[in-house]
Amino acid sequence: IEMLFPPPPPPPLNLLLWLPVMGCDGCPGEGEGTAGPDVPNLSSEGWTSGQKNPPDVYEKLGTPQGLWTGGEMANPVRSACCVVLAAVVVVYAQRHSQPDSHIQYERVGADVTMKCGSMDWDAAVTWTANGTRDMDESHLNGSYLILKNVDLSQSGQYSCYEGSSWHLKYQTYLRVGTPPKEPVLMCRSNNYPKGFYCSWHLPTPTYIPNYFNISVIHGTKDMVCEKDATPKNRCHIRYLQLFSTVKYKVTLTVTNALGKNFTTLTFDEFAIVKPDPPESVVAKPVPNNPRRLEVSWQNPSSWPDPESFPLKFFLRYRPLILDQWQHVELSDGTSHTITDAYAGKEYIIQVAAKDNDIGTWSDWSVAVHATPWTEEPKHLTTEAQITETTSASTSSFMAPPTTKICDKGAMVGSGAMAVCWTAGLVVAAYSILFI
Amino acid sequence: MAAADSPSAALRRDLCTRGIRLAGKMRADVLDLLDAYVEQQGLDASASVAAVEGVPLAAVERWDEQTGTQRLLQNLAAYRAFRALLAQMLEEQREQLGEAEAGLGRALAALLLQVSAFAYHLEELLRLESRGVPGEEEEEEEDGPPPPPRLSLFEQKLRGLGVLRELAQWAVRSVRDLRQLAKPSPATGAAPGLAESP
Repeated sequence: IEMLFPPPPPPPLNLLLWLPVMGCDGCPGEGEGTAGPDVPNLSSEGWTSGQKNPPDVYEKLGTPQGLWTGGEMANPVRSACCVVLAAVVVVYAQRHSQPDSHIQYERVGADVTMKCGSMDWDAAVTWTANGTRDMDESHLNGSYLILKNVDLSQSGQYSCYEGSSWHLKYQTYLRVGTPPKEPVLMCRSNNYPKGFYCSWHLPTPTYIPNYFNISVIHGTKDMVCEKDATPKNRCHIRYLQLFSTVKYKVTLTVTNALGKNFTTLTFDEFAIVKPDPPESVVAKPVPNNPRRLEVSWQNPSSWPDPESFPLKFFLRYRPLILDQWQHVELSDGTSHTITDAYAGKEYIIQVAAKDNDIGTWSDWSVAVHATPWTEEPKHLTTEAQITETTSASTSSFMAPPTTKICDKGAMVGSGAMAVCWTAGLVVAAYSILFI
Repeated sequence: MAAADSPSAALRRDLCTRGIRLAGKMRADVLDLLDAYVEQQGLDASASVAAVEGVPLAAVERWDEQTGTQRLLQNLAAYRAFRALLAQMLEEQREQLGEAEAGLGRALAALLLQVSAFAYHLEELLRLESRGVPGEEEEEEEDGPPPPPRLSLFEQKLRGLGVLRELAQWAVRSVRDLRQLAKPSPATGAAPGLAESP
């Protein structure tokens, strides 16, 4: 039996009552670079029980090392069968049980030493990384795998095999990362007076899992921040009181396997009120008014009660060709008519919102574009074409500066002079604009 | 609107609208006064001031569930208390401050006038609803213990800070309360909350 099946480490006395250990309950904790054996190593784990010392029992029963039985045997044949059966079970367990898979977290730049489970330092082993045999001798110190100054690319699965048998003795998943930096925390009420939300993120990634814990205190009272389904890094709180001068204190702690950090925000109820931008902003030209644009919008849908908590608005607009904005503050209503637009120029328009009494302005709405009304342009015609036509036209048109604007000889009809004057005014306006 | 306003509803809305303007102006003046007060009294603007006895707290739970009468009565009680507190502050300022800080005294006096006017405005609203306006003597009896002993100079300053901060909160709350009162009820045309109050 000893020749066929190399002796395993000494199993506990009552092996027949124990199943082979598939987990690693008694193993050292993560990150220590060691792994538990297939069966508990009684000498290293400090495992204690009511049993006699294995050597004493071993001597008593006279069984080969590593093979344990329990109780007395009445029949030698039966004893031998039991021993064989036990050995088969043990070997089967050894061959088919996998070592526990660990996750090991190490800092970027750290030196990492991995032991091949319970193998001795001088044992013959082979290490692989991510299933490929690329761990050369330079990384080995005996049976230990040494990784110096690890970087992110060295994250992966490392496996150790016993030299001759290629039996998998140890496996770990190395995750290289960093401890968390101070998180970024923001709290805001976009649905006043219902409540507020807090959201957070890390300024730089850690490349390993992070766990966040948030606490909210109002005076001496702890409040519950309910996690939002999406996004994941956000929670919300309902106001239990309104109009309180007592400040809220929000503390966010982030923890990962390599460290911990936190940040705290303190604010009062009014300071964080910031509505979402107005929605459905529309800008339209006003018929027959070349200098007007009609702008309308809606309250943000997240603002729960605009009747009791009305918003005021800030509208800004400019022609695309200029950088300077015009501003208008509107204390009520959700529309406004711009009356000083430059004729024929395309405008960009945005709106922001704020509670009438407290808090700060929202971000600007999505920008909309609009151009004031202009008359239908007359088709530009050559002199020859004009002399063939006799129809009068009363409409005026805006010609680009490079176009021949006013040629009395080419114009016919009662509107010709009006056209020339209008075109002349337009050219003058362009000139002033571009000076 | 489904139906034309009744005269009393129109008057109520008018009183509420004027009250909202009064409260808004009052708040703006309180905030300006707070800045000046903190500077001239040598205080830290971010200092936390514990709730001061006798200063009505604006903080309220279930604000949206209050009836119109509750809103009016709580507002009236608060502004009457602020009237007394500001008068006391003004007296203390006159004792402490010289001519250099006369501006602070004038600002306090102006604020006291606004608070008095607003309290009167609230009384008008209550009378409009044929609600009895509680006498100030009754309120004083219900308030409980007698005023605390005279405070030290520093305690007076801190209390003054607490009074102004709480008054600023009340001004916001009053605007919200009056807006609720001004809302027409869809069925009766009356303001919500007042009809169902006892």
